[in-house]
Amino acid sequence: MERRLVHLDRDRPLVEAALREPARFDALYRKYLAQVYSYAYYELGDHHDAEDATERTFMLALGALPRFQERARPADGDGASTFRVWLFQIARNVVANVRRTRRRRPEAPLEAAFGIASVHDVETRAWRRAEADEAWAAVSRLPDDRRRALVLRFVDELSTAEIAGVLGRSEGAVRVLIHRGLRAVARDLGPRS
Amino acid sequence: MSFRPPLTGQVDALITDDYLDSLLAARERRAADVPSVAELDPDVRFAAAALAEGAARVHPSFRFGERLAARLADAAAGITLARAAGESAAAMAPATAGGPIDLLASGPIGTGLPPIGPLDLLDPARPEDDPGIPRRPLIIGGTLASAALSIAGAAIVAWRHNRAAHAGDRVRLA
Repeated sequence: MERRLVHLDRDRPLVEAALREPARFDALYRKYLAQVYSYAYYELGDHHDAEDATERTFMLALGALPRFQERARPADGDGASTFRVWLFQIARNVVANVRRTRRRRPEAPLEAAFGIASVHDVETRAWRRAEADEAWAAVSRLPDDRRRALVLRFVDELSTAEIAGVLGRSEGAVRVLIHRGLRAVARDLGPRS
Repeated sequence: MSFRPPLTGQVDALITDDYLDSLLAARERRAADVPSVAELDPDVRFAAAALAEGAARVHPSFRFGERLAARLADAAAGITLARAAGESAAAMAPATAGGPIDLLASGPIGTGLPPIGPLDLLDPARPEDDPGIPRRPLIIGGTLASAALSIAGAAIVAWRHNRAAHAGDRVRLA
């Protein structure tokens, strides 16, 4: 059973405005800056690389905006695409390029990206924060596709349908990726039941 | 080879997905109560709760955000100027003069990353295990002879290239 969760692109007015007047792209940039940066940071674990990937992503998106085609109706099937999905497709490719480049040079452990996860939540009890950090450290050890799916789901709060669009997989496959990723994290955390 | 999970795995994954919808929605409205899903493996539920607890969105520095906004504004202004100059798609046809140009050859200031081929990066079907950085630079017309394009200039060139390439088949947004 497949559910379509993305039927309308809420960014359509902003995209149309940016197509008419490129300076209006600024609204899309400000709306998605933190999401794209977070995705890049969780994937790369380094602020400088995340900034670089973020910059490339938005520059590419601005330059290629006339190429963006909204396909967000149920009739469009698995190829449904909103601006957000399209933007994250670009970010995914840019980040993958940076990761490939880094394989040729020493790499900072990705766990570094997760140590800050709940620093700002002063009301969180210490043991819960430690378990959250441990869980995200486990995510960093997952295979690329499972890790990427979990970051998009938990950090960027994309729907399963949107993640399917970003990763180029079916919704069912994405759900299984996330479920298996969670099971692997649960194994790392140890039994609770 | 297609990815075909077993049926039981799909059912478990669907239950997990429903739980995550509830969990993330509860987090968004800062609610402490998350609907319980009896069929869900308690270990998986705990892992999901731990991840949701620690999944803070990371914000870039204000300085970086404003600097990038300024660069995008520069690129947007260049696109607008190019339009105003009345450049047609015909003017974008490949010419004989000029060499190949990597659109992001200069890269962002202060980084040591190698250039990338931007139009390849826009391909949603691009495999994630693609073996590497595109080796063939993109050739964009002959009117630009310098290989030292700024990243803002790259966005302008990409915009013009895309307008020309997709003018015929782009779906107009109603």
